[in-house]
Amino acid sequence: MRSGLLLIFGLIVLTSICDTICQLFLKTSINSLGEFSSRRLINVLRFILKLILKPKAWIALLFSTLSLCIWLIVLSKADLNFAFSVDSMHYIFIALASGLILKEKVGVLRWTGTSLIVAGITFVMLT
Amino acid sequence: MSKKKITLTILLFLVFTDILETFTQFCFKKAALAQSASNIADLSQVAAFLADTVSSPFLWIGLLSVLSTFVIWSTILSKIDLSVAVPIASFSYILVPITSIIFFHEKVVLLRWIGISFILMGVILVSLTSKEEK
Repeated sequence: MRSGLLLIFGLIVLTSICDTICQLFLKTSINSLGEFSSRRLINVLRFILKLILKPKAWIALLFSTLSLCIWLIVLSKADLNFAFSVDSMHYIFIALASGLILKEKVGVLRWTGTSLIVAGITFVMLT
Repeated sequence: MSKKKITLTILLFLVFTDILETFTQFCFKKAALAQSASNIADLSQVAAFLADTVSSPFLWIGLLSVLSTFVIWSTILSKIDLSVAVPIASFSYILVPITSIIFFHEKVVLLRWIGISFILMGVILVSLTSKEEK
């Protein structure tokens, strides 16, 4: 059972990493489109159209699909409440990736919140 | 850009995204359970499992639910700050275990609830830092 738990944990790590990569590509492709200010429908449609034309948006979709496939395998093996709680680790990866790759500022309060999530996942893993 | 205060309508929509998110997970779990995939050992079994899952209506209802959540969520975020929206929207961390207990007869022990409450507090703290500099 221990090795089974390790496999499930590893798969959830993998799906969270895919999620993070998806968010990174989505964020960089949206950033490259420039400021989105107007809420008029025609501008929203133009924004979406421009986004679809970005290759990075497709890479994001690819990783999102990959993440869903791994997630389905996880759900076939693990309890939903366990998997869903542990999946909150994508907050950790996104905080790391935002700081290291996107060079966003990640403040003390955010790291405190992220540590609480780590503590929470550890408790859930212990059960 | 300062945004309007939260209204009852927005609050209801936020609660609705909580429920939709939980419903999505319910559907995906149903789709995964529909297959006899208790022992996926190699890659060909993974492929067979995923192919079977695609034929499950629950998967497609779940995907539709993801899409609806995305649309509603984007609309909400154009009206209120992320730091207000996320704490209310993260109650799915409580709703999902409750759904798991009711529909899938899973057991959630006290230590796990404690872990979940830590995660919830962490998510709320993280979202509090998202306020844009004015």
